[in-house]
Amino acid sequence: MSTVSFKNIKKAYDDLVIIKDFSLDIADGEFVSFLGPSGCGKTTCLRMVSGLESNTGGTISIGEETVSDPSNKIFTPPEKRFVGMVFQSYAVWPHMNVFENIAYPLKVQKHNKSEINDRVKEIINIVELTGLEKRMPDALSGGQQQRVALARGLVMKPKVLLLDEPLSNLDAKLREKMRYDIRKIQQDFGITCIYVTHDQIEAFSMSDKIVIMNHGDIIQMGTPSEIRNNPANEFVSDFIKTQH
Amino acid sequence: MDFIKRIIFSKKTILGAGILLLFIFCLYPFITLLWKILFPAGEFSFKFFENVLSSKSTVVALKNTLWVSLGTCFMSTLIALPLSWLLTRTNIPMMAKWRSWFCLPYAIPPYIGAIAWIYLANPSNGILNNFLGQGFINVYSNAGLIWVMGSFFYTFVLLSLLAALDRMDPSLEEAARLSGAGPLRVFFQITVPIVFPSLMSGMLLVLLAAAASFGVPALIGNPAGIYLVTTKIYTLQKMGSMNGIFMAGALSILLLIIATAVLIFNQKILSKNSFKTVSGKTARPSLIDLGKAKAPLTVGLIILFIILFVMPLFGISVTALSKVQGKFEFSNFGFQNFQRVFFETHETPRALMNSFKLGVMAATATTLMGLLLGYINKKTKLKGRSLIEILASLPYSTPGTVLALAFILTFSSNFMGLPISLYNTMGMIVIAYFAKYLNFSLRTTSDGFGQIDDCLAEAARVSGATWWITMKTIWFPLMKPALMASWFLVFMPAFSELTMTILLTGPGLETLGTLIFQLQEYGDASGGAAAVLALLTVIAVGMINYLVKFISKGKYGL
Repeated sequence: MSTVSFKNIKKAYDDLVIIKDFSLDIADGEFVSFLGPSGCGKTTCLRMVSGLESNTGGTISIGEETVSDPSNKIFTPPEKRFVGMVFQSYAVWPHMNVFENIAYPLKVQKHNKSEINDRVKEIINIVELTGLEKRMPDALSGGQQQRVALARGLVMKPKVLLLDEPLSNLDAKLREKMRYDIRKIQQDFGITCIYVTHDQIEAFSMSDKIVIMNHGDIIQMGTPSEIRNNPANEFVSDFIKTQH
Repeated sequence: MDFIKRIIFSKKTILGAGILLLFIFCLYPFITLLWKILFPAGEFSFKFFENVLSSKSTVVALKNTLWVSLGTCFMSTLIALPLSWLLTRTNIPMMAKWRSWFCLPYAIPPYIGAIAWIYLANPSNGILNNFLGQGFINVYSNAGLIWVMGSFFYTFVLLSLLAALDRMDPSLEEAARLSGAGPLRVFFQITVPIVFPSLMSGMLLVLLAAAASFGVPALIGNPAGIYLVTTKIYTLQKMGSMNGIFMAGALSILLLIIATAVLIFNQKILSKNSFKTVSGKTARPSLIDLGKAKAPLTVGLIILFIILFVMPLFGISVTALSKVQGKFEFSNFGFQNFQRVFFETHETPRALMNSFKLGVMAATATTLMGLLLGYINKKTKLKGRSLIEILASLPYSTPGTVLALAFILTFSSNFMGLPISLYNTMGMIVIAYFAKYLNFSLRTTSDGFGQIDDCLAEAARVSGATWWITMKTIWFPLMKPALMASWFLVFMPAFSELTMTILLTGPGLETLGTLIFQLQEYGDASGGAAAVLALLTVIAVGMINYLVKFISKGKYGL
């Protein structure tokens, strides 16, 4: 488990600036949501933590380790960062069954077979997929695929768990249950979590801290109650309101 | 070790190595060709072009090529245009089957058709002439040339039209129907103008294919004394003298210029925004009820199919099974020709083995290369990746005769100052196939990569997999259908290739294509041997096509 810190992060494609100057410290075991309209740069920030995208300026650290610092030519590739990630479209591999999907991170990190077996079984229990180990993804419901993706993100006991709009493809009822389950698993594991969403109900019901973003800037951050009681400006109060 | 591994398997290394390979096999031979012809003694000279253009026979060959290509183009359009309407817009019975059958000649090498039509319509003992009276039809003529090429190359127009008609927004036609236009009027006033760029593009491809064709003009044109540019190049090259090769080179450059001009024109037509109205929607238009015309049109379709496909196949089969050619009696049939081809002709096993080896090597090399380059092309943003498609499409669109000649000039001796000689070796044929067919693989794999979401690989990366392991455990298994399709799509034409092989081949290097060609052209007076091999080729092509269709669940194959 680890802290995550962003220091003066910039991201630009040639002249197009996506993130201007983003600084944020996330404490160990904290659940932080990035909340904002689409195109505000929240997913980009998340992907920079995983190493799937690189920042063009500033430093990103996970725990004690600086994983990205372009001015000093430091960049840890995604496979060396040991973060778990849950994708919006689940990204469950269609050619592997449930067990193989979840075991994959341990397999590529060359854990031994019995250990892989034990840990996958354990995590399958936690995400309530017991009995479906041999199923192929095309025989799973959306909610079940979501749980496979979650289990795969957790199985290697990552330093940080990143979730990119994980619930946006689920129906309303399932979403409520998943919100509860994800939060519970996060607290049981005590794992640091970054959760990207445009849905303020998700952000307010799950997070320790919310970061509200727009146009690549942080507009406000604080606990759910701080934000609700003291919206920093019109954008924030509008954004909270419009969805109710 | 880890460091070295990382460098070897990094994307940039692969792109660099890929572009280097593409440069050597897809561009450098053309540079050599131009260099050797334009700077024969280190100094710029038009000498060979003057020689070529002042020779009456080459000028005639250029003219013949032009007229035969135009004729073929005309005939192809005449067949394909009504066919495309019937097979996309009407309730003709068994539409899907007919589509598949009428497209099949696309995969069969046209020289097989030339052989078939020689059996059917040669003036002395052609099967048709036995019925219609001796000399009634003479395949050894301009008309015969156009007929045989057209009966294969119409598939270019047909495939192009079918794709466009399937993509077209059906409401455009429906609006015309509601305005009171009848089905034929809608087709000619609305549909054809909208898919016109595709029609044009198909027609230009026919023009190009006909001008680049070697097997048909060699087998049918030569006996009639009708020489085309490709057969002229072949004759000049086979003269063996250096001067002959240089003359052939100059003629090749002329053919290359014509081909390039046609392709650029084609690109212009396609890039014009005339495609705007052709949407990506899959909505099916309501099919036109043919009513009373259904029966006669179906009969017409069957007759066309018999003439284009069944009759030539029949001709080959009868010839393959006849003990004595031209005698149409039951007692004359037997498997003697098969016996003779496989057990008494010592070249046959060697040729089949060579073709098989060449096909396997070419298909494997292009597919592996296609996998890596397709990945770079579709899934990375590396600078220089756009070069891949451009370089790979050069040899693909170059007439095979020209490509072969360029390879002979480049790799025969002293390649880039190195003492490498591939002349008369299998290596030469393999690299020529590799260059020619890489584009097939690249298109198939790029297509495959395009349909797999990036997040599947990203999920592997964050799970701890390196780029290379992600390739092995995620991309490769997911790409399997596309890779298998790519393999067979290269194997099929490589196995029966003739145009390039006939120039590159040497002693002991017979292939299926060159053996059939030689049996038909010189040896085997009684004629049955070539028919046996031609028949087997058609069967093999048909089987592989259905295999590809089966593996890819109908996405590839005809």
